[in-house]
Amino acid sequence: MDSDRGGLLISAARPTDLQRRLAPAILLALVLGLTPVVPVARIPLVGTETFLPAYAAAVLVVELVTAVLLYALFVAQRGLAVLVLATGYLLTGLLVIPWALSFPGVFDALGIDMGLQSTAAIASLRRFAFPVAVIWYALIKDRTGPLPWSEPSAAALVAAVIIATLVLVGLITVVTTLGGHALPPLMRDARHVAALWSAVPATVLALYGVALLLLWRRGCSVLDLWLMVVVAILAIEIIFLSYVSGGIRLSIGWWVGRVLGLISASTVLVVLLTETTMLYARLARSVAAERRIREARISAMEALSATIAHEVSQPVAGMITNANAGLRWLDQGSVGQAEARAALERIVRDGHRAGEVVAGVRAMFQPGTRAREALDLNACIRDAMERCREEAKAHRVTVQFDLADGLVPVTGNQVQLEQVVSNLAMNAIEAMREQPAPGRRLSIRSRMVQDDMVQVAVEDTGPGLPAGQAEQSFLAFHTTKPDGMGMGLMFCRFVVECHGGRLWVERAEGDGARFLFTLPRFQEEASLPQEEGA
Amino acid sequence: MMEAETGCVLIVDDDLAMRESLESLFRSVGHGVLAFASAQAFLSEVLPQRPCCLVLDVRLPQMSGLEFQRELNRLRIQIPVVFITGHGDVPMSVAAMKAGAIEFLTKPFRDQDVLDAVHRGLTMDAARRQALIDLGALKDRCGQLTARERQVMALVVAGQANKQIAAALGLSEVTVKGHRAQVMRKMQASSLPDLVRFVDRLSSVD
Repeated sequence: MDSDRGGLLISAARPTDLQRRLAPAILLALVLGLTPVVPVARIPLVGTETFLPAYAAAVLVVELVTAVLLYALFVAQRGLAVLVLATGYLLTGLLVIPWALSFPGVFDALGIDMGLQSTAAIASLRRFAFPVAVIWYALIKDRTGPLPWSEPSAAALVAAVIIATLVLVGLITVVTTLGGHALPPLMRDARHVAALWSAVPATVLALYGVALLLLWRRGCSVLDLWLMVVVAILAIEIIFLSYVSGGIRLSIGWWVGRVLGLISASTVLVVLLTETTMLYARLARSVAAERRIREARISAMEALSATIAHEVSQPVAGMITNANAGLRWLDQGSVGQAEARAALERIVRDGHRAGEVVAGVRAMFQPGTRAREALDLNACIRDAMERCREEAKAHRVTVQFDLADGLVPVTGNQVQLEQVVSNLAMNAIEAMREQPAPGRRLSIRSRMVQDDMVQVAVEDTGPGLPAGQAEQSFLAFHTTKPDGMGMGLMFCRFVVECHGGRLWVERAEGDGARFLFTLPRFQEEASLPQEEGA
Repeated sequence: MMEAETGCVLIVDDDLAMRESLESLFRSVGHGVLAFASAQAFLSEVLPQRPCCLVLDVRLPQMSGLEFQRELNRLRIQIPVVFITGHGDVPMSVAAMKAGAIEFLTKPFRDQDVLDAVHRGLTMDAARRQALIDLGALKDRCGQLTARERQVMALVVAGQANKQIAAALGLSEVTVKGHRAQVMRKMQASSLPDLVRFVDRLSSVD
C-alpha cells in the first residue's frame, strides 16, 4: 500500500507527458513575452510604491498557503524533504512582511523608517533562503525507509518547525532594523543599488543553477518538475531585477521581475491544488465503481443463495411429505404396502436430487476456484465442449464453432468459466429436445468487442424463451425443465459477474435463444472482486 | 364429516417431487386427488362435481400462485385455497389470506397441518354446495305456487291474521285459509316459523 500511496501523491507521482511538455513551454513563453520589455526596462515608474503593499500581500498569502499545503503533504507522507521545502516557503513568505514594511517610501505615513539598508538585507536573505531550501530538498529527497514518525508526532514536528521559523523571522527583523548602521552597504540611495549588491544576484544565480542541476538529476516527481519551473522563473526574475533594470527600483524591468516573482510563488500552489482536485475526482470515481461492483456482487449472492435454498428445500419438502404419506400407508396394513414402497422410492430419488444440488454447489466453490489467471477463452470453450460432446451426440445436435483468432486473454478461473460454457451448452441441447433432429444446431462463437472485452455467444435452434421470460429464466430456471438441476443459469450469471462481466439472453435469428456473456481482458493488477466478502 | 372424506383435492405445483408426494399423502387418508403442473393445465380441466379444495404453490411458471388465485376469483370459481410455498414472507401471506385463502403453509410443512387445512377446505366447500342445493329446492317449491298463493304467503310471513289478509285482498276468510293451507303444503313448511325462514332465505338471494 505504501508504494500505492507514494505513487499518487504529488511528491512521488511521475509527471504526465503533457506536464513534461507544458513546463518548458511556459518558460519559453515567458522569455519570449518579456524580451520586448528589455529596451524600456530602466525607465522608472515614479510613485508606484503604492502598489507595493498589494504585491507583498499577494506573495505573502500565496507562499503561506503553499507552505500549509506542503506541511499537510508532509504529515501524510512524512518525508523530510517536503518538510524542508515547506519551511522554505514559510520563511520566504514571512520575510515579505519586514521587507515591505521597511521598503523606503511605502509606509512613511505610519512613521516607519527602518533605515536604508534593511530592505535590501532582508531581500537578499529571502533570495538566499529559497534556493538553499530547494537544494536541501533535492539532496535528501531520495532518502527512503520506514516512516520515522507517527502522524501525531509529524504534526508536532511541523508545529515546532513553524514556531522556530517565526522566531527566526522575528530575530531577522529586529537585527536588520536595530542594527541598520552595521549592515553591509547594499544601497546607494532609496532607488539605486551600491556596488556591493552586485555580489548578491551573482551568488543567488549560482545557487539557482545548483538547485536546477540537482532537481534535474534527481527529479522524477510532479513536484520536482514544477520546482524546476519555479527556480527557472526566479532566475529570470533576478536577471530582470538586477541586470535588465540595472538594479533600479520601481523601474519597468523591476516591476516585471516582481510579477515574475509572484508567478513563480504561485506555480507550486496551482500545481498542488490541481493535483489535489484531480486526485479527489479520481478517488470519488473509483469509490463509486467499487461500490457498484460490491452491490452487484451482493445482489448476485442473494439471488444465488435463494436459488440454492429453493433447489434444496424443494426435494427435501418432497421427501418429508413422502415419508409422512408412507407412514400413513403402512398404518393401513398390507393394503398400503405398494403405496408405501412407491413413496420410499420417491424419497430415494429426491434425496439424490438434493445431493446433486449440493455437489454442484461444492464443485462451483471447490478449492482452486478462487485463483484468477490469464486465460485463453477459446481453449476454455473447446475443453468445455469436449465434455458436452457425448450429450450432443446422444441428442443428435450439430455443434458449430466460430472462434475468433487473436482473442486477448481474460482474467478468470478456468474451472468456473468452463462450467459456465458447458452449462449454457447443456441448456441449449436440452432446449432443442422437441425440435426435429435435422434442425438441432448449437453454435458457439467468440469475438472481441470494444477492444478490451471478449464476448461469447451460445445459440440454439430451439423454441426460444417465451416473451417476458428472458430475465425470469435467470431467477427461477427450474420452471422450464421438468427434471433439470435448475441452478444452471443463475450460476452462470453469478460466475460471470464475479469476473467483472455480464450475461444476458436475446432472441436468435429464427426462433432459438442466444445466451451471451462478456469478460474483461486480463490485466496485471486487475482489481476484480474476490469471492470472499470485503 | 362424510362429505369431506369423499372430497377431491386439487394440487397445482410445478415441482414433480412435491406433486407426487402430496398426491400420495392425500390418497393415504382417502381423498380423491387431481394434480396439475401449471395454472393453465388446471384451467383447461373440467372440475369434478364434488367438494374440492385447491392446494396451490405460490411459485409457479408463467402465472404465479397469487395471480392464479385472483384469476379464480375473477372467474367466480369458488374453491377454498391452501397455499404452500418454499419461502413465504409476511406480505405474501397477507395478500393470499386477504384474497380468501384458508391457509398459508411453508415447505416443508407437517403433514397434519396440510391435512387439517385441506379437511377444513373440503368441509367449507361441502357446506357451500349443500346450501346451493337447498336453495335450488326452495326455488322449485316456490315456483309451484300460484300468483294468489304468493300474495297470501307474503302477507302471512309479514305477520298478518287471516281476517286482515282477507280484507286486504278482497277475499273471504275461508278462501284465505284454503290458500294458506296450500302454501304450507307446497313449501313443505311444518310451521309458520319454518315458512318465514324459507322466504327469508329466498329473498336474501334475489
